[in-house]
Amino acid sequence: MTSDLLLIAALDGIAYAALVFLVAVGLTLIFGVLRVLNIAHGSFYALGAYVAASLGIGIAASKISPWLSYPALAVAAAIVGIVVGSAIERLLLQRIYDKEEVLQLLVTFAAFMILDNAQRLIWGVQPYFVATPLQLLGNVQIGGITYTVYQIIVLPAVALLVLAGMRLFLRRTVSGRVILAVAEDREAARAIGINVPRVYLWTFVIGSILASLGGSLASPTTSILPGMGTDMLVLSFAVAASAGLGRIEGAAITALLIGLGRSAAVYWAPELDVLVPYLIMTLVLLVKPQGLFGTLQARRI
Amino acid sequence: MLTFDNIVVAIQGATILRRVTFRIDAGQTVALIGRNGAGKTTVLRTVMGLIGPAGGRLGFEGRDITAMRADQRPGLGIGYAPEDRRLFSAFTVEENIRLPAEVARRPKAEIADTLDRIYSMIPELKEMARRPAGQVSGGQGKIVALGRALMLGTKIILLDEPFQGLAPILAARYGETLKALKATRPDISVLITESNPSLLKPFADRTLIIERGDLSEIMNDEPLVA
Repeated sequence: MTSDLLLIAALDGIAYAALVFLVAVGLTLIFGVLRVLNIAHGSFYALGAYVAASLGIGIAASKISPWLSYPALAVAAAIVGIVVGSAIERLLLQRIYDKEEVLQLLVTFAAFMILDNAQRLIWGVQPYFVATPLQLLGNVQIGGITYTVYQIIVLPAVALLVLAGMRLFLRRTVSGRVILAVAEDREAARAIGINVPRVYLWTFVIGSILASLGGSLASPTTSILPGMGTDMLVLSFAVAASAGLGRIEGAAITALLIGLGRSAAVYWAPELDVLVPYLIMTLVLLVKPQGLFGTLQARRI
Repeated sequence: MLTFDNIVVAIQGATILRRVTFRIDAGQTVALIGRNGAGKTTVLRTVMGLIGPAGGRLGFEGRDITAMRADQRPGLGIGYAPEDRRLFSAFTVEENIRLPAEVARRPKAEIADTLDRIYSMIPELKEMARRPAGQVSGGQGKIVALGRALMLGTKIILLDEPFQGLAPILAARYGETLKALKATRPDISVLITESNPSLLKPFADRTLIIERGDLSEIMNDEPLVA
């Protein structure tokens, strides 16, 4: 009985960690390159979920193959990331890169509020529930526990693919190296011919697509409600901060840590459920203020 | 090929360059001498477009590049080795040297050729090639920065205080490398800054002096060609 519960908690934790990782890695990538903590990041998660749900409802209504709802999840993420992401970067962030951090926080917070209300305007406040992708793949038995294939295989697989893909992209392609170069030293990057504003735009769009992908992949597993972006934003921030902002592999490990910690709390100390991620973050930052995988770095001016 | 025409640069209200005017012809090696804070680095940063002049005109091969974006300038054939090296520690030495050419989308074969030429001119770079750039010493880093500047710097390279902080043996080695560069590529112009004028005597065709943003030229009795 206890071991069953342990297993269930572990499976829950893994499935959840996969989603948190996708959002957190986007946040940490954007911070690492643009040096802006993007509060509006949570909106991309919510928008990804809403757009995926709308596409899913459209697919169900039009009686075409329900299997199309899987590519629809990716399409939703791409649409939100590219359209909303590039609009926010070009119209808003581009004006505030040289400004103080407080102002940057306020501006992205304002963008978050605007997007949050835009969601209510478009989709209303009633919850959406589109579980087709969850149901189509059926269940799998793991140690006597029945779990959905979608949550325990598809979600972690996508997270691992994104992690491996990011590593390959950043290390092995010129575009990836250009992003790393800008992250390390903007001015030196310009001096070797890198178009820094364009790199900012790409990076922001990639980070936004990752957050939207987290949302669209989460949409079959949860009811889509106003405010869902806030929870995920704070959680992904806890993950990114515990790992050390800008650390991609570190974010994967802390996402797992926080995902498992949270699901353990759900079963054994439900009253602490909301608190556990922050407890983990606080403990980590007390011991290592720069994050588990962060390095102390002199601020460049 | 490079002309400063009454360039004025101010940073936060303080004037750093006062109507600076000079020209460098193709193949010339020019020393820019001045104390710390005299404006040497600002001259180089102005060429790279990292700082915008408040007045005057910057010309390169007959074109006015005063308003050209910084990221478009290296592609003109301008290489820059900053004083503090500014290598990317995330990459190896070779990746650092290649990066400017990759950014400029030069063909693979051309990059390999240029890299070979740089290696034959500065053999120690080949030995360091696979090391992470974050792990080379400050002096070695200066040589890596020179190699990186040569990747796109086919017309002119700007070297900011390359001898600063170099151990004597590395400084001598750096000097030999510069001579080798002049011997193999006499067409490349070089602009070197330095606070100690005597160090550059063996290399420089001309010497410019900058003091509190005012630039003047020392007329050498005889051109000192190494």
